[in-house]
Amino acid sequence: MEIILGAFVTSGLTLFIFSFLYKDNPFFKIAEHLYMGAGLAWYIQLTIYKVIIPNVWGPFRKAWENGDWFTIWMIVIPTVLGISLITQFIPRISWMSRYGFTFLMGYSAGLALPTGLSTDFMNQILGTIEPFASVLNLTTGQLLNSIILLIGTISVLFYFFFSVEHKGAIKKISNFGIYFLMIYFGASFGNTVMARFSLLYGRFDLLVRYSNAQYFYATNWIILGLVIYFIVEKFLIKKVIANNS
Amino acid sequence: MKIIKKYIPLAIVFIFGMITLASYYVPHRTSEEYLEWINRWENIVSAFALFLGMISLFYVHYKKIERKVDGWGYSLFVYIGFLIIMVAAMISHGDISKGGKVTCLGWTFNNIYNPLSATMFSVLAFFIISTAYRAFRIKSTSAFMLFLAGLILMLGNIPLGEIIWDKLFSWTHITIAEIKNWIINVPSTAGKRGIMIGIAIGAAVTSLKIIFGIERGYMGKD
Amino acid sequence: MKETLNKMLKIDRRWLFLLLTFAIIIPILKPIGIPSKSTSDAVKDIYDFIDKLPPGSTIILSLDYDPSTAPELHPQAAVVLKHAFKKNLKVIIMTFLAGSGGLIDELVRTIPTKYSKEYGRDYVLLPYMPNILAALTQMSSNIYAFYEKDIDGKPLREYEMMKNIQSYKDIACVVDITGTAILDYWVAYVGDKYKVPILGGVTAISQVGYGPYLQKKQLKGLIGGMKGAAEYERLISEVGKGTSGIDALNIAHILVIVFIIFSNIVLLILKFL
Repeated sequence: MEIILGAFVTSGLTLFIFSFLYKDNPFFKIAEHLYMGAGLAWYIQLTIYKVIIPNVWGPFRKAWENGDWFTIWMIVIPTVLGISLITQFIPRISWMSRYGFTFLMGYSAGLALPTGLSTDFMNQILGTIEPFASVLNLTTGQLLNSIILLIGTISVLFYFFFSVEHKGAIKKISNFGIYFLMIYFGASFGNTVMARFSLLYGRFDLLVRYSNAQYFYATNWIILGLVIYFIVEKFLIKKVIANNS
Repeated sequence: MKIIKKYIPLAIVFIFGMITLASYYVPHRTSEEYLEWINRWENIVSAFALFLGMISLFYVHYKKIERKVDGWGYSLFVYIGFLIIMVAAMISHGDISKGGKVTCLGWTFNNIYNPLSATMFSVLAFFIISTAYRAFRIKSTSAFMLFLAGLILMLGNIPLGEIIWDKLFSWTHITIAEIKNWIINVPSTAGKRGIMIGIAIGAAVTSLKIIFGIERGYMGKD
Repeated sequence: MKETLNKMLKIDRRWLFLLLTFAIIIPILKPIGIPSKSTSDAVKDIYDFIDKLPPGSTIILSLDYDPSTAPELHPQAAVVLKHAFKKNLKVIIMTFLAGSGGLIDELVRTIPTKYSKEYGRDYVLLPYMPNILAALTQMSSNIYAFYEKDIDGKPLREYEMMKNIQSYKDIACVVDITGTAILDYWVAYVGDKYKVPILGGVTAISQVGYGPYLQKKQLKGLIGGMKGAAEYERLISEVGKGTSGIDALNIAHILVIVFIIFSNIVLLILKFL
């Protein structure tokens, strides 16, 4: 019973959202608003059951029973900082939210700096230059690829360097960099097509599965319902236009 | 008052920023413990930020219902969707499955949240096909390079593409997979690497500006 | 002629949507069945790395994807798990993404029994952990500091496969399958810092962006999208959702290419008319 109900609900919600592709309609709007509420609720319940209860309430109770004041303060301080974020909605005391925001910003900035510099800066420069450290061990193909990689990386960096006016030789190099960027964007586009179509395949696969007898032809009933709705709506609109004229 | 409203928050950003930055480079046990605690703090504070979003969304839709604007009835479904998942979570105590059996929350996850979320993202596929036909215009060399790279990736991603390439270009003795691999490993990597280095420098500068209190936009008006 | 061509360019997009729908549904109902012949270097690298691990080695499989990316990443997770079980590796399955619970559940309900693998002896499931950075850093010295218990609340140390596991030093590699930036965290905080081999599985959209990490060997191998899953399935000789999925996408991809070329040819003709 739950499985068949689940099939109808799943097919229904999926087809309601797809119905937007034909025309905006109340079923799509219902599904859209349900998604807003359900999506938020999903993350809220995860926060409550996987963060607040195990990391705040549980340890707080345990620490309180044991008289572990260090742990109690280690829980109370971030909780107060978190609650301070909500004061943003009260104009008179909204300045308190700065405490929460500054903690988050300080932590994020402190974290982003070393990892960004190490992984995305130093290691990338190293990766570009490293092949040339053992040039004699490279095949012709590998050497050519390394040279293209080096020239490409430098010319792209020239393109993004806006402190100097792009004219003369700098303009030529940065224009060359644009071609490498276009190849990267084109490659991303090609893969994005596959990624999105894969998601679509996943949905259609499910709809085809739920159109079988074991799921009481759930997909078929929902499609029929939507088609009837659109036909009736079209006739009603024609009637209204005819009455008005 | 200025100390409480301005200077203490700036001190917080500086202290936490510098200590977190230093902890990455210090391999001592204390540094690891600090990172563990500060990460727990961040989880707790971020959790409340989510409640901020919740209040904001509920307020917007409450106002729509109160003023009975066009389509106010749909705003009720925001609350209905929210309640369905929250009630299921309370019944199941946040567990998707228990003892191999799917719980109430697990059922709502599989049949409500999952289809809605996945379908919303998959709708983009239709807009890709529409854009490909109506907006993809090859009017310059750069656009042609973009198209060529995209074409090779698309052909290389599907078995039919491999067959088409072999039928037309087998005389080159290079397969579409080899060209695709080369594009991803060499020119595309060069493009991405340049972007990565640029972003890393920008992120480093912005992070330093935030830590030293030069960048204060997130604090709002004084 | 000019009017007809202009009409063709301005065609109602709903006809294009309908064409795409048929292009995907028809191969689902009647598979084309064209096998994929090629294997990308990155997929070969990840396959070779796992294949060369001695039996009994322990790997971490971090599954960090939710329903919105499941069609691409679920087949990847399935094929890596199958390969690991075929090689008699021990697998520690964990997640840092809240929405992946149901998907991991689906995976462990079907695959281990097929390879006669037992929970606790061959694989364990760790609970969802929101504190990713703290967990990644702590596991460098003591896994149990964060993961005292498994997903069922039982003490982790008591399981047979965890008896000799203390930290990353006892782990052969980490495979992270994700549609988010969590792989970047593994590379930055574990791979670069503690020199643990990191292998990845990502969506096709993100795949191209990991080229620099692959070139620098910060990532030892990468599975990209459904095609990557199909290639890996071919390497371990097991047909799965990756192969059937990529088969269904053949016509849709050709449709996109035909549309781009056709519309640009029409535009070119209109330019000269």
